[in-house]
Amino acid sequence: MINERLSQLFTKYDPVIQTLISEVLTLEQAYISMERPHVKEQIDQIISRLAVKEQEHIDKSEEGNRRLI
Amino acid sequence: MKFERITLENFRQYFGRQRLEFARDKQRKVTVIHGVNGTGKTSLFLALNWCLYGSEYVNNVGELISKEAISRINISDFVDMSVELSFLHEGERYIVKRMRRGMKMIDGGVQPDPLDDFTMIRMHGDGQSEPVKNPIGTINAILPANVRTYFLFDGEKIDDFAKPESAKQVKEAVYLVFKLETLERAHRHLEISAADFRKELKNTSSGELRNLIERDEKARAALEKNEKRREELTNVIEQIGRKIADIEQRLRDIQNVRVLQQQRDFTERNLKQQRTDLDNVTNEVRELAISAYFTVPKAVIGRSIAILDAKREKGEIPSNIRRQFIEDLIVRMECICGRSFEDGGVQHRRLLGLIETTLPDSLGDDVLEISATLRMFEERATRHRANISQLMQRRTELMGLIADLDAELDDLGRQLKGSPLEEVSSLEKHRQGFIADIGSFYVEIGRLNKSIDELTKDIAQLDKDIIKAKKNEQKEKLLSTKLYLTQEAADAIKREYQAYADDMRARIEAKTKEIFKRLIWKESYFQDVRVDQDFNLGVIDQYGRPARPELSAGERQVLSLSFITAMSRISEEEAPLVMDTPFGRLSSQHRANITEQLPLLSDQLVLLVTDEELRDQERANLTPYIGNEYRLVFDTRTNYTKITEA
Amino acid sequence: MADDRDTVAIDETAHEIYKQLTEGSNVLAVPFRTMKDVFMWAVCLGVQQGKKKSLTSKKLTVFRWAQFDQQTDIPLLKAVAIADSGDISILLKRNDILSVAEEYANAGIYDLRDGVFGGYGQPLWNLVSLIG
Repeated sequence: MINERLSQLFTKYDPVIQTLISEVLTLEQAYISMERPHVKEQIDQIISRLAVKEQEHIDKSEEGNRRLI
Repeated sequence: MKFERITLENFRQYFGRQRLEFARDKQRKVTVIHGVNGTGKTSLFLALNWCLYGSEYVNNVGELISKEAISRINISDFVDMSVELSFLHEGERYIVKRMRRGMKMIDGGVQPDPLDDFTMIRMHGDGQSEPVKNPIGTINAILPANVRTYFLFDGEKIDDFAKPESAKQVKEAVYLVFKLETLERAHRHLEISAADFRKELKNTSSGELRNLIERDEKARAALEKNEKRREELTNVIEQIGRKIADIEQRLRDIQNVRVLQQQRDFTERNLKQQRTDLDNVTNEVRELAISAYFTVPKAVIGRSIAILDAKREKGEIPSNIRRQFIEDLIVRMECICGRSFEDGGVQHRRLLGLIETTLPDSLGDDVLEISATLRMFEERATRHRANISQLMQRRTELMGLIADLDAELDDLGRQLKGSPLEEVSSLEKHRQGFIADIGSFYVEIGRLNKSIDELTKDIAQLDKDIIKAKKNEQKEKLLSTKLYLTQEAADAIKREYQAYADDMRARIEAKTKEIFKRLIWKESYFQDVRVDQDFNLGVIDQYGRPARPELSAGERQVLSLSFITAMSRISEEEAPLVMDTPFGRLSSQHRANITEQLPLLSDQLVLLVTDEELRDQERANLTPYIGNEYRLVFDTRTNYTKITEA
Repeated sequence: MADDRDTVAIDETAHEIYKQLTEGSNVLAVPFRTMKDVFMWAVCLGVQQGKKKSLTSKKLTVFRWAQFDQQTDIPLLKAVAIADSGDISILLKRNDILSVAEEYANAGIYDLRDGVFGGYGQPLWNLVSLIG
């Protein structure tokens, strides 16, 4: 129920934001028993990966807009 | 998760292999294990924990190994101690086994191995089994280690959650089970990453690309302007040239000055030729000059030749006969000494042999070759210098000639300008005016050329820079996107967190209240269960005041039990409730209530009880649900506990 | 040999001078046509002055071994290497020949610049005056 509730918490946000939150939460949960886990690098990797995809998406739509003009 | 069975081997007072089946029907879901204090209830509880989660909370693993088993072996022999648990989860059966081996020491004690042997297998419906790749992760996904205390429930600790000082524990429990801690960490880490991105973004120069493109555009515009102007000027010069030609034709037509003009024509042609020659000479000098470097290091060449000679004289270079030389001899069928030899004869064969065996060492060849070449440098340098000298002389000559011709032209021009004939003088004045104009235009063209060269260079560099900046801009864009995503995510969590936390708090409160009301008998006295913002667990009396200080020990325990059970219900980690002497400190009234309600609060219940805990009423309440019942019997003769079916 | 170097390196700080000596259309102002010729001049001037300068870690490749003239450049470079090391086995080590040349060039390039661009008159005539 908790996992469901958590994912429902963010449905009103952009899908890519949802994905980011979901992946980061999963990562944090895996290390939850550690006091101070070193997860920064892995989080940055997740962010980078999603940002690249998002950037491609933006570039494509910008290209489309340019053609329209 | 539903337990199936547990098998203990040489675990604490459980000597040998002993097995216990858990009741797991829909109706018959309660397993009761009776045992007098000291017989092993706690060990059984410990066995479950240790099997699933390992020795984290065990001080001395050696203590877990059955002393009886140790006593029965010889020194330096081994005892295997293990706990195997099989359970069902989401339709699949898992078997987990943790084993530790120990060696008997001289003093009768036991030296355990440093590590556990831990295996987990998954069995499919068709009987096939496979090892689980990440057992710890899998177990934590099924029943996380930090949540287990709410399921594998130690009755001694029942007091803890309801004590005033337990707010921290309650908060921790809620945080962990409901993943509030996870959310907080995610938020914190995302904020840190966002701050980093923000800082990085500040450092990258933005607007650089725009700037470069502007400059590039400006440079190109200037270039175009210059080129246009140059073309313009070229055209104008051409036009003026024609005008001059016209004038010169007119002068040729005029009887008196025809000769002068013709002389001028001739001189100008001559001058043009000399100028062309001068250009050619200049180009020739240039070619010779740029290749003249070899004339410079005379001393070094000399020294190098000396070194080569010295080495050769000392015999340090293999004095190999060159292949070419030998081949020549063979062709001539002549020996080195000059005498001819026979085909196939001794000398012939020897020469052939020399080719085969004494092939010149490449070093030797090199040395001879380079010595020869270097020796020629001196001569080549001399010739080279002579050529340049000659050309430079010619240049001087030409410059002299050109100067003379220029002077002649100047003189002719003056003569024409000073002519008594009005028309001639005027024409010549105009002509000279035009020539002066052309001169100025050429100067301007020269400036334009320089500017054009510079602009072309600049544009080339700018284009390179633009490509680089475009790449940076891409990087910048990506960084922007990363910042945006990260900050949005962090903000989203922040925004939703409080509502979620409040919701969870409310749920826990409601559930605890619901269960508490079912378990407690003094219902009318209490109004409400509260979990406040600071996560203090409390009961409100009918006057709306906190009642907890007035709770009896038993009532406090029931509140704790309610809370824990509520947690396990809400978190819906479907897992069995295992309780170790849960009723020890409760009053009989409470016990009656609880034994009535507990089976309804869990899908599987395992109770480890002393006989005093389960009296008639309690027994009667549980009986409809009891599936399996065991008794732990400690045999004073053998000093170990046996699990027997009751 | 397989691991003979194919490329000739100059120091990044000297690159600007090489460009100044080769980029431009006016023969009198920009006498050189190829970087290789600039390099050979730089080597010879460096050798004449007896000055060497090691290259820093920032190097550029501006031309290749194949551009050296077989009749003049290669024997010259070999002579420089022999005189510098005193050891004729250096003839077999192309990489060492190149290293020595590059160091002489790295010093001589400054003499070349000063000789050609310093002083009055057109660079081409200045170059002519440097001839031995």
